[in-house]
Amino acid sequence: MSAYLLEMKAIAKRFDGVPALDGIDLAIRPGECIGLCGENGAGKSTLMKVLSAVYPHGTWDGEILLDGEPLRAKSVRETEAAGIIIIHQELMLVPELSVAENIFLGNEPTLPGGRLNYPLMNRRAEEILAELKLPDVNVVLPVKNYGGGHQQLIEIGKALNKKARILILDEPSASLTASEIAVLLEIIRDLKAKGVACVYISHKLEEVAAICDTIVVIRDGKHIATTAMQGMNVNSIIAQMCGREMSQLYPSLPHPVGEVLMEARHITCWDPDQPQRKKVDDVSFQLRRGEILGIAGLVGAGRTELVTAIFGSYPGAYEGEVWLEGKRVDTGTPLKAIDAGFALVPEDRKHHGIVRDLSVGENITLSVLDRYSRMSRIDDHAEAHEVGEQIRRLALKTASPALPITALSGGNQQKAVLAKMLLTGPRVLILDEPTRGVDVGAKFEIYKLMLELAAQGISIIMVSSELAEVLGVSDRVLVMGEGRLRGDFANQGLTQEMVLAAAIGQGQHQDQVQERGQS
Amino acid sequence: MMDKAQAPIGAAAARTAVSGGGISFKQIFTQYKILALLVAIAVIWAFFSFKTDGGFTSARNLSNLMRQMSVTGILACGMVFVIIAGEIDLSVGSLLGLLGGAAAVLDVTHHLPLPLSMAIVLASGLLLGFVNGYLTAYAGIPSFIVGLGGMLAYRGIVLGITGGSTIAPISPEFEQLGQAYLPPAFGIALGVVLFVLAVALAWRQRVSQAQHNLPVIALWRSVFRVALTGIVLAGFVSTFNSYEGIPLPVLILLVLLGVFSYIAKQTVFGRRIYAVGSNMEATRLSGINVRAVKLWIFGLMGLMCALAGLINTARLAAGSPSAGTSGELDVIAACFIGGTSMRGGAGTVHGALVGALVMASLDNGMSMLDVDTYWQMIVKGAILTLAVWLDVATRTGRR
Repeated sequence: MSAYLLEMKAIAKRFDGVPALDGIDLAIRPGECIGLCGENGAGKSTLMKVLSAVYPHGTWDGEILLDGEPLRAKSVRETEAAGIIIIHQELMLVPELSVAENIFLGNEPTLPGGRLNYPLMNRRAEEILAELKLPDVNVVLPVKNYGGGHQQLIEIGKALNKKARILILDEPSASLTASEIAVLLEIIRDLKAKGVACVYISHKLEEVAAICDTIVVIRDGKHIATTAMQGMNVNSIIAQMCGREMSQLYPSLPHPVGEVLMEARHITCWDPDQPQRKKVDDVSFQLRRGEILGIAGLVGAGRTELVTAIFGSYPGAYEGEVWLEGKRVDTGTPLKAIDAGFALVPEDRKHHGIVRDLSVGENITLSVLDRYSRMSRIDDHAEAHEVGEQIRRLALKTASPALPITALSGGNQQKAVLAKMLLTGPRVLILDEPTRGVDVGAKFEIYKLMLELAAQGISIIMVSSELAEVLGVSDRVLVMGEGRLRGDFANQGLTQEMVLAAAIGQGQHQDQVQERGQS
Repeated sequence: MMDKAQAPIGAAAARTAVSGGGISFKQIFTQYKILALLVAIAVIWAFFSFKTDGGFTSARNLSNLMRQMSVTGILACGMVFVIIAGEIDLSVGSLLGLLGGAAAVLDVTHHLPLPLSMAIVLASGLLLGFVNGYLTAYAGIPSFIVGLGGMLAYRGIVLGITGGSTIAPISPEFEQLGQAYLPPAFGIALGVVLFVLAVALAWRQRVSQAQHNLPVIALWRSVFRVALTGIVLAGFVSTFNSYEGIPLPVLILLVLLGVFSYIAKQTVFGRRIYAVGSNMEATRLSGINVRAVKLWIFGLMGLMCALAGLINTARLAAGSPSAGTSGELDVIAACFIGGTSMRGGAGTVHGALVGALVMASLDNGMSMLDVDTYWQMIVKGAILTLAVWLDVATRTGRR
């Protein structure tokens, strides 16, 4: 048994008297990678915030030992000095600063007189990016010029620059493509070889299984198990996380697919920042009644742009026609789109989904508040009744509908946003990455709900980066690449390889489009 | 119904009955903060009372103080919505001057009947508010700039139409608007009506909490609250009655407090103001016309400027071209002292009015003590900064 680099003993943390962590133990050896697993709200992020002193020493109970010495850090600065570096779920980059400036943010090298040592910064930044296999990134350009996947890797580069001894990665791969994930895992293996310990938090259990040596599972703030990865597999991790075996990841419910309900014709979107560039290039498709249409593609393929253009919320210039039941409808603004029978659950829940200062109930009724009011006066009883119905229907876990929405876990916030949009009575429901940052159990419930809605005749468009999910629930799959429609497949015998090949631009595009006619 | 709703959420239950399910920790905190502010007012009053040998807390001066405060308070009612919606309006002082000046010109120069000139001024206020709102919400100009532009332009217009000189004397009826008092008997009747209303509301809250399976607050607490309301009302009415009665501007302010609190808590429009200020994009994607919401908020602000302008002119019995100069600063300060969130999304009308009372008390007390103007400005500036600092410090302290 090698000595532990870090030990966390009996960590307990309460929020307003409610225990979030209840006696968690965690020990890491040098060069070890720990997979920290648990459903949303299990306490993973809280535990890591304790470790990195986002919650300073004294606001929680228990003990942290680093090299056998007690660590009583009062601030993130101190833990970083001790070599504990956390990469948060949300990106912490300054968009206007250059890549190199971001990588050195907080520990900038200086020349005499306090001037920034740009030559050194840029040279070192280029070395780091070469390590991250991002040679095409120009380190003097602002970070905002690069997409989400690149930014995530730049964030990791920032951590590498800080001489980490323990690197905590909280959902690092959420916005990465498959090839970028491969690079990320390679980097982690290199770091392990150099003796750096890692804590890897991800809902993508395949990655966890691929990279981690030890799996620590927590549930409801309690430590459930610490197991060596040898002898474990994805299913056994899920079983520990849920406390039960998940017999199936995707529910099935037969739902008849009817006639064509909605049609998008010649949708073209231009980049708001570069008006010459097309983000979506002349995309047309049809959607049938009760059909679940998955839209797959790599990051930057134009999927979100396409669906937001249909819903009237695309920020830049766009054109195209939306037809519903053979009639052209105006969906120029979200308000008009909702009136026409569309609903959108947006990708970015924090900025576009929830309203932070309102309660769970107030969020749910936001779109249709007029229904519970007379002469603009809100009927509290009618509103509370409807909120209760929706909470029950979606199995939304909240102590009270009067709680602030921010008190809920990601999956339950997503359910609240979904409830809000469902109350508008949509005929076409657009879900953009509906399960991002949502745990396995809640994912299953969301899929089940989608199938039930489809069975009621609601047509669903689901944009997703998780191919398994697209193939698991869709009736038909559209594949986009570089703003164009690259494939239109009936989901029968469709494999991830076929979808990926289409997304990258291989394969006989024409044949695939024709396949649609036979479906 | 909701079986999970039975989990006790402690003091959080307080607002629930009124709004049907909307509380956040921040709002509870705001409630406590109001108590802290009331204590602060008590300290300020005790200090000035001591320094003036009780002159400050005499019925006559308190009546005067409340009358002075009413103009800032009326503007604060409108401004608190503007700030909750995440905007700011710097033009209110100048707009008050313009509309008050216009009212004086209509009255003195054109001899229009009072109801007609009031209607013209109120309509112009609403219209100019809509102009501000249109420029902010539809033309996309930041409200700070729109306000700054309006502050200069409206002041310029008032200087133009008055020729830079005071317009006086206004008609006696007009004067009444700012200087009349409610006869004591009516004051007592009003107090009784308000007390009955408080009892009814407390009763409704208990019934509503029971219906929603929420923990019903203890009976003694309800009784205590109602009794406290009764004592405050009795003190309020008897103080005013021992002078001349409740001043008309104070009565108007009380009505506005009721109306604006109702809008904030009980109407669709009110809910949307909070939603727009908290997360405009999510609100827009929920199918709400956020531009229209903002347009109306600024419209209401303009209407309040008109009302405040009328009362200000009536109170001074003249239209002064410099009326309301830097009034916007007092109003904005009142909102922030009263706990309105600087990033939007949170705040209360009664909080803003308590903030206005703090500012008015400082003004009045320091004037009585013959404190130099420069000291008055320093003290007011320091109090504003201190109040917001306390707010910020305690907010982040509670996660």
